[in-house]
Amino acid sequence: MADLFTYQNSYLVVVIFLALGILLPIVALSLGRLLRPNKPTEQKRTTYESGIDPFQDARVQFNARYYIFALMFVIFDVETIFLYPWAVAYEELGVFALIEMLIFVVMLLIGLIYAWKKKVLRWI
Amino acid sequence: MDMETLLSYEWSMMAPEFTILIIATVLSLVDLFADKKIDRKLFGWFGAAGIGIALFFLFSQIGHEPAMILANTYRLDAFSLSFKILLLIGALLVLLMGVSYEAKGELLYRGEFYYLLMSALLGAMMMASSADLITLFVGLELLSISSYILAGTRKKSTQSNEAAMKYVINGGISSAFTLFGLSYIYGLTGSTNLADISREISNIAPENGLVLLSVAFILTFVGLAFKISTVPFQMWAPDVYQGAPIPVTVFLSVVSKTAGFVIILRVLLSVFPFAQGLEANTSLLQSMMIFISVLAGITMIAGNTVALKQRNIKRLFAYSSIAHAGYLLVPFVAFSEMMFESMWFYLAAYLLMNIGAFAVIQVMSEHSHSEDISIFAGLFYRRPWMAVMMTIFLLSLAGIPGTAGFIGKLNIFIGALFSDPSRYILAAVMMGTTVISYFYYFGVMAQMFMRPSGSAVPIRMPVGVTIAMVFCAAGTITLGLFPGVVLDFFQTQFNFAEMFY
Amino acid sequence: MSAIPVNAYLLLALVLFCIGLFGALTKKNTVIVLISIELMLNAVNINLVAFSKYGINPGITGQIFSLFTITVAAAEAAVGLAILIALYRNRSTVQIDEMNTMKH
Repeated sequence: MADLFTYQNSYLVVVIFLALGILLPIVALSLGRLLRPNKPTEQKRTTYESGIDPFQDARVQFNARYYIFALMFVIFDVETIFLYPWAVAYEELGVFALIEMLIFVVMLLIGLIYAWKKKVLRWI
Repeated sequence: MDMETLLSYEWSMMAPEFTILIIATVLSLVDLFADKKIDRKLFGWFGAAGIGIALFFLFSQIGHEPAMILANTYRLDAFSLSFKILLLIGALLVLLMGVSYEAKGELLYRGEFYYLLMSALLGAMMMASSADLITLFVGLELLSISSYILAGTRKKSTQSNEAAMKYVINGGISSAFTLFGLSYIYGLTGSTNLADISREISNIAPENGLVLLSVAFILTFVGLAFKISTVPFQMWAPDVYQGAPIPVTVFLSVVSKTAGFVIILRVLLSVFPFAQGLEANTSLLQSMMIFISVLAGITMIAGNTVALKQRNIKRLFAYSSIAHAGYLLVPFVAFSEMMFESMWFYLAAYLLMNIGAFAVIQVMSEHSHSEDISIFAGLFYRRPWMAVMMTIFLLSLAGIPGTAGFIGKLNIFIGALFSDPSRYILAAVMMGTTVISYFYYFGVMAQMFMRPSGSAVPIRMPVGVTIAMVFCAAGTITLGLFPGVVLDFFQTQFNFAEMFY
Repeated sequence: MSAIPVNAYLLLALVLFCIGLFGALTKKNTVIVLISIELMLNAVNINLVAFSKYGINPGITGQIFSLFTITVAAAEAAVGLAILIALYRNRSTVQIDEMNTMKH
């Protein structure tokens, strides 16, 4: 029973933090709204861009090349999730899993070599 | 798991898979580091040799006791052996066609083509011999993802891009369906191993799990229908077949389709015959047969009627392959003792006649840079032997006596009539749609024999595609005239009862 | 502590799957369609993980299966997006209804 209470208490801390996290910006912003003077003019309403007049759309297009990096990152990042369970259970799995993992990593390496030879890794 | 268990496995069981894996890896590395001037067609011959070695290993395994390795996830039995033979022969013929594929500037990435084909083949082989839902799924996706890229290898062609895009979207949706169904199967049995599932599933009380199991069945089947291109996932086939390079089209219509039937048989037959059905004393599989038979009927009708108005030869064959997938579902619905035999035989016949026909299409469309049906005009007066071979393939596809297609259809038909209960309606639909199919197959023949030829430029016939063509023609005739040779071999060597645990 | 019944997870997964399917079938932007497919696959993951905890024979297998699903989904999305880039370079469009060069 005591365990259960400590368990619940630890959630209570989380709840308090959550409430504080939500309340703080609300209170700060609404207090600021009440206190600050409000005299909008046309000049003040324009978008601020380092003092220069804004000249293009806020949505900026990126070079497609960045996108290939992102794809590469996602693939290698996701393949790593197989390494974590293996690392956790390394002691029990032993040599067999080590060999399997080596094969897996070599296969990933071939993919990396492919990307390298196809000049994907070169920074523009 | 320690070293002793590792060494105690009979690794030679996986020799065909290892061969393909090594060939694919070596090809990909050599392609990266070899000189740009080296003709990449050599890779094709190298790959063909590799498949030959794998076939040799496979034939030496015939008669092997059913066995499982790798913690019961890999299974070698008559079922996997017999279908892997089909997959390997199909891939070998596709590779031969790929070596001679020359369309100008189209196959920019020839090296990639060969090793992606190998990895797709590896996925298909894993599907044939896996005994676990996870490995089945990984094999399925290895095949799918490789074929998405293959469909888009003509990178500069809009049609090929579009084909690949449609294939990815349809494939993604269908694999989500399959997985959703498989997740219910896992949830109701608590295991992904097919042997455990077939044991556990009979314990499920009908009042608890019946709805979920039926939903699982329908979702799994609908998702897998994508691979074999039957209703409701047939719409990708015409576009993808038209946009992809011809060797890839053949691969999708033969090897990928065979693999689809393999996975359907493996999953559905190891899970659902043991589950309690909707009525007392029936299995869930029997209860669901009406659903499959309706889909099979719609597939046959839709494929054959829409094919009638096609002018593009690749689109025509896409609809024809949809129709053939419908015929192939009939023995599954009939579920007679001859089921495996007639499906295997029909898949073998379909492999030969379809690859042969596409080989002729490849030669002709490269010659005239067009895919319209009129490229066959007057072929008989220019290349009589090629016209004769194309006639053999078309007659076989239409199911005329003396060809492999006829024997295959006959087997299916007899199976449907003498099963219990008999599937008269389905057999009648099959008859009727076969007659409809005569119109478009004979339309191509009319072009070859009755139209004058447009040009007199001699038709080039590269080595690889000619070998494939002749092999297919010889095979179609042999299977048509002496089906007993293959069927006897099949009955003595492969015992399909092994498939069940 | 676990007052949440297994039905809730299954229902959530089913709803997510249906939202994904709806998006995949109706949206015109290919990127949105690919995202919808990811939603469908993630619904599968919820199912698998819920079953591996509260299923008939609870075990770790479901979680392993979901790891495989995640990886394969990532690979599929990467291939899909790569093909989309190739298509965009040739056609300058990502709208599905403009991919219609092959009608009969």
